Amino acid sequence: MPGKTPDKEPVENGGYRGGKDMADKDLKPKSKKASKKDGDDEMTVVVPPSKASKQSSVPPPNDAEGDMAMDDADKTPADGEVKVDPVVQTINDIKSNYALLDRAVALFDARFTLRALRSISSIRKRLTPDILAQAIAETYPASSASAHVAKQMLQAVGRPDVSLGRQPGPEMEIDSEPKAPASKNGAKKEAKEIIPEVDVFLGILVQVLLHDNKQFQQGFTFSHSLVERTRSVNRRTLDSLSAKVYFYYSLFAEQLAPQPPSPQSPIVSIRPTLLAALRTAVLRKDVDTQASVIVLLLRNYLLTSHISQADLLVSHTQFPENAANNQVARFLYYLGRTRAIQLRYTEAHEHLTAATRKAPSSACALGFSQTATKLLLVVELLMGDIPDRATFRQPSMESALHPYFLLVQAVRVGNLEDFETIIADHADTFRRDGTYTLILRLRQNVIKTGIRMMSLSYSRISLRDICIRLHLGSEESAEYIVAKAIRDGVIEATLDRERGFMKSKEVGDVYATREPGEAFHDRIRVCLALHDESVKAMRFPMNQHRLELKNAQEAREREREMAKEIQEGDLDEDDLGGEFEGM
Amino acid sequence: MAERELTTLLTHLKSAPSYPETTALLSRAKLLLLQLNALTPLPSTPPAHLALARTTYEQGALASIRAKNPDAFTRYVAQLRPFYEIIPAGGDDERNKVTGLYLLLLLTQGLYGEFHSELEGLAAARGEEDGVEGDRYLGYPIRLERWLMEGSYDRVWKAMKEGGVPCEEFGVFSEILTSQIRSEIASSSERAYPSLPLSSTKSLLFLDSEGAVVEFARARGWAVKDGHIYFPSAQQQEGGEEEQEKEMSQMVIENTLGYARQLETIV
Repeated sequence: MPGKTPDKEPVENGGYRGGKDMADKDLKPKSKKASKKDGDDEMTVVVPPSKASKQSSVPPPNDAEGDMAMDDADKTPADGEVKVDPVVQTINDIKSNYALLDRAVALFDARFTLRALRSISSIRKRLTPDILAQAIAETYPASSASAHVAKQMLQAVGRPDVSLGRQPGPEMEIDSEPKAPASKNGAKKEAKEIIPEVDVFLGILVQVLLHDNKQFQQGFTFSHSLVERTRSVNRRTLDSLSAKVYFYYSLFAEQLAPQPPSPQSPIVSIRPTLLAALRTAVLRKDVDTQASVIVLLLRNYLLTSHISQADLLVSHTQFPENAANNQVARFLYYLGRTRAIQLRYTEAHEHLTAATRKAPSSACALGFSQTATKLLLVVELLMGDIPDRATFRQPSMESALHPYFLLVQAVRVGNLEDFETIIADHADTFRRDGTYTLILRLRQNVIKTGIRMMSLSYSRISLRDICIRLHLGSEESAEYIVAKAIRDGVIEATLDRERGFMKSKEVGDVYATREPGEAFHDRIRVCLALHDESVKAMRFPMNQHRLELKNAQEAREREREMAKEIQEGDLDEDDLGGEFEGM
Repeated sequence: MAERELTTLLTHLKSAPSYPETTALLSRAKLLLLQLNALTPLPSTPPAHLALARTTYEQGALASIRAKNPDAFTRYVAQLRPFYEIIPAGGDDERNKVTGLYLLLLLTQGLYGEFHSELEGLAAARGEEDGVEGDRYLGYPIRLERWLMEGSYDRVWKAMKEGGVPCEEFGVFSEILTSQIRSEIASSSERAYPSLPLSSTKSLLFLDSEGAVVEFARARGWAVKDGHIYFPSAQQQEGGEEEQEKEMSQMVIENTLGYARQLETIV
């Protein structure tokens, strides 16, 4: 190994030692400054041995992997065409987002931040504690004001002994003169202080990593401090990032020991934090955080079945209109769920339909679509509608919706017996989906459908037969139930008490009623709303209108000139003609 | 000191004295709770005080049900809620009884949305094995609700009559429920039957005598002729239809105008 890298090893060592020296010098004062973390002391203790090693505790000559990584880290900036190591690639990917964040701050445009956030999902797959630790170490010069933040992150990642301020720079010189490049780099870096956005962005990556590695307790503690940190900074460019921070914060809380349905779950304890965040977000007109926190709170309440609190939250807050599409979809889902439980099916149906439509169609959000569709199906059944057969045919949904398919069949036919066996067979599935209690309410719909089927098939049928077919308790029950069905407008029929039968009325012509008109109106309204929304959603570049105005002005001037020329041309036609001749 | 006094007070309360006595005892108990600083649960409140406070409120809730004071009952339930959140379920509390009564109250007041919200919370808070329905106190209102929704009023009636009521406090609601189902049946009968003989109406409405039936019919504005009840539905609907027709054409006109306007803005 040493033979193989005669020219690289020292370069690195020089580079790192340079960085290390800085780190060592700076760690001590820093640990005093950032007094709250005892991790800092630990860090100063651990640092010396790691001076020799790079980022792992194993000494470098034996650590082939680390060596490789370093090699590439050196090469890539120098000569781009060398094969790209995944580790370096990932680190570069992470770093490429800094530029986006920088631009977001400079141009005050949240779109760049969103682009950075979007890249998380691709980075996520390749993220390991080592990679992240390295990225953090390379980002922060040890002397920067936020070095303690970086150390905190390193500790959360489980690599507290990685030193800060490491430079992958290829131009660094040999051991003997570590000061020069280090100070040069340091100066360069210090001139450009790490912006909080980068800070938080790395924090989010730490959260993602901890979540993927199932270190929930650690993630929760880290998220808590991260939340505190984001709250202390008031920057509009941080909005979409902090929304993400809260998201993972509550996700960690959900995974902790007494899990949600229990009232002792930690999610109850984070409610004050979330509510405070909501208040701040509203005051700062921070739409992203506002939307995301409302959704989180709703989810939080629903997990512990605090329906009335969820309802109060919805009635006392206003969900931001221009929130991100995914948040809107989530919000609509939770809202639909609340309304379904409160028996406000029409509203629930409306919200859930919108939620399923707004759900991303790609496979990454399949779980959400499935859950929302399940709930929507149940609500449709509760409203007395029969869901489309096509819903169950979608290949991505088919297996997940199978129990619901059976359920719909039972309800459609109006077979009470089938219905009860299906509930019994799939009780666990329904409980897991949180639709069990809703499905229990379907019983009456099954009975109603049964009655309707009978009223359609027979012009006259005795109550006894109804009672037997529908497995009702007694004839009296059947009579009451049928009477109620008539009153509720389920069937058009009359009862004859003396002779004990139900007589169906002639079914009227549907097209003579107002129903088709209403259906038509509904559709038109949806189309118009869609049109309005798309008009609203159009985005125009800033200050473009001024440019256009200018263009228009110019065009007008040109026109005027032309007119003038023509006039002049009219005046001396020969001149014009002469020109043509010349040409 | 106050703690011991409260305990003795509570044992007094449980031995069920008359209502005025109970209210006096309750207000004294609440004063003592205030001294213990346990009127509302705080993280610092010791568990023993929590239990005492909870028992006080439970007794208060039950007493106000016996006194047929739904407002006071609702207030007590609201006060009890944080205690139930903090203290884990189980033990010797009257939790299920109070919750069951609250469910029944919501049911008689027709607040089905709240009823189901409450139910959802119950189902989530308890394990999946011991179903909510299996409980003596909780199962009763749940079954009643299901039957009411289905329309099997005879079962509701039977449950109220044949000792299906789990304890005396639940009986308070039977009267309200009876009048409720009676009016439900009456309104569905109006639509379902063209006419009804008086004798069978009696059993249909769970009334005691034909005299009561006639009285009931008069109260609802039904015509009684030769031992039959005729429902005054047909003529009313005629008039209604004409109006509906008018309304409908108005709606169509309005909609069409709306489309035209929208189209104009688009094109």
